[in-house]
Amino acid sequence: MGLSNPLLEIHGLRKEYMQPGGPVQALYLDFLEARAGDAIAVTGPSGSGKTTLLHLLAALVRPSQGSIRFDGRDLPAAAYSARWRALSVGYVFQEMNLLPDFSLLENLLIAAEISGVPRAFDRSLSLLCRLGIEDLRYRRPAKLSLGEQQRAAVARAVLHAPPLLLADEPTASLDAENAGIVMNLLLELAAESKSLLLVATHDEAVKKRFPRVVELTKNIEKTGQRGNLP
Amino acid sequence: MKSSTKLFIASRHLRSRAFQTFSVVAVVAFSVGLAVALFLVSQGLQLGLVHAVEPFELIVGAKGSPYQLLLNTVFLQDAPIGNIGWEDYAELSDDVRVGSAVPLGFGDSYRGYPIIGTVSSLLDVRVRPSDPPWLRITQGRWFEEGRFEAVLGAQAAARSGLRLGDGFRTSHGIVAGDEHSEEYRVVGIAETVQGPWDRAIFVPLEILQSVHEHEHEGEHESESESEGEGKEVTTVLVHPASYADAYRLAVSYQNDSGKQLIFPAQTAIRLFALIGRGEAFLSIVVYAVEACALLTTLLVLYWSGAARSRERMLLRVLGLPFKTLVFISWLEGTIALSTGAFLGELLGRAGAHAAFSLLGEATAIQPTVPLTLQECLAPLVLLSVGSLSTLAVAWRDARNSEEPPR
Repeated sequence: MGLSNPLLEIHGLRKEYMQPGGPVQALYLDFLEARAGDAIAVTGPSGSGKTTLLHLLAALVRPSQGSIRFDGRDLPAAAYSARWRALSVGYVFQEMNLLPDFSLLENLLIAAEISGVPRAFDRSLSLLCRLGIEDLRYRRPAKLSLGEQQRAAVARAVLHAPPLLLADEPTASLDAENAGIVMNLLLELAAESKSLLLVATHDEAVKKRFPRVVELTKNIEKTGQRGNLP
Repeated sequence: MKSSTKLFIASRHLRSRAFQTFSVVAVVAFSVGLAVALFLVSQGLQLGLVHAVEPFELIVGAKGSPYQLLLNTVFLQDAPIGNIGWEDYAELSDDVRVGSAVPLGFGDSYRGYPIIGTVSSLLDVRVRPSDPPWLRITQGRWFEEGRFEAVLGAQAAARSGLRLGDGFRTSHGIVAGDEHSEEYRVVGIAETVQGPWDRAIFVPLEILQSVHEHEHEGEHESESESEGEGKEVTTVLVHPASYADAYRLAVSYQNDSGKQLIFPAQTAIRLFALIGRGEAFLSIVVYAVEACALLTTLLVLYWSGAARSRERMLLRVLGLPFKTLVFISWLEGTIALSTGAFLGELLGRAGAHAAFSLLGEATAIQPTVPLTLQECLAPLVLLSVGSLSTLAVAWRDARNSEEPPR
């Protein structure tokens, strides 16, 4: 790994949101470099910008300042962000990851079609089998436990073997047992597909499972104030 | 994404929110159905009236309301204004401006079916010179003058209970009144004329006159047998010798104190214009209902869209392009609107046919309305405006989903 080129390079990344009282800085990250297959825990207190960082990496929002380079190129502009996400990003949220009107299998098949996954049905079914939820494939999310929903969300996120796998507090709504299962799956599947895994968490137990940790600090000062370096 | 998948997602969303979907479909169907039914009834009635009036070029009758003369003679509704003398008919027959004149006598009925006293020359009436005779016999034969014989109009034959060879007695007046003692025998059944005269029962005019004279002026029975003297007719159908002669005749009747001549087609148009004023008010009501339907639809779509913001965000995170997101939301609204509009068209047609059936039962006017673009205007306008508005709501929803989920 050490000899390969970095997959992700971040320099002077800043994100501000406009508020009635003026722009508020949500994130400042001076530098980050990561390679394919790396697993990184992004930690820090609430408001430190963990979720914002993941949104920026998924091209859901644009940075106010600084650059994000992925695979040697600047992150695509917003016009291409949908395609970028479909091909390159897998995303797991804290909860409510699944489309409520569709069965678990349909959720995976829709995601697979958006990403253009070949042999989507077989791939989806084999993932569900591996995650031990194949018997639940025709159930809608409302009929699943939170743990089962999160496992399905992991399956959907890794379905297209994305180079960048992002998870935002994926275990925050789960009990310890289910949190362990979901984290095992995330780490295993990311390693198999050589995805760069970034998990935002404030859970010490989760943090300990990562060889590398990026610590963000809270910074709610107005623009012009510098946030903490990781 | 494949079109079938977009359709699958949109239809699943609609199914999952069955109540909202049903509300939109029901409201749209109701408003479109109302508009279509009103249009069809109005158009059908107009066409039915025009069709009913076609064979009658000019009508001469007693002075009074031209509408009453029209309603009585053409539509067999309302009581006759009064009679004119046989000599007036004779004078018309001899007039060089008149191609043919057919005398008619009204006033009696059988179980609500009007009796028309007439002569055989009625069988020569044609809508256009090249057309076959307007009134034709389909079973039996035409009556013989001077005998108590009757020919049933098509609807009278179908619904009065009378058959060929049956005997029956008529009543005085349109509603059941005093029964005359003489009995007519059914000798023929006419082919349908697709109009009010299908309800008629045709009898020889001179027999009708003699019955009335016998009933009301029994003491003058012998006198009335002399040629035309004292006899009356209710109206005369006139076929003018030429178009110009029609107007010359009309002018000559303008100052007549006892008689009037009407152009049935013109009178019907004026009558319809009177009805049209009420129809215009109804149209405003229908437009208001359509506007309410559209507003309700948009509100339902707006709320439904707002409730699904999380789903749109998820789809966006999965990499669904913005325009596909808009398209799916638009498709949902448009499917609901189209279904409502289609059902509304069917409901409108069904409602109009029910109204036509009732109208046909009562008047034998048989309105027929072919499918026209004008009829589809209400569903098309609602669908177009609704679809565009849905697009705006979908666009707005998709824009709102740009705020990333947590």
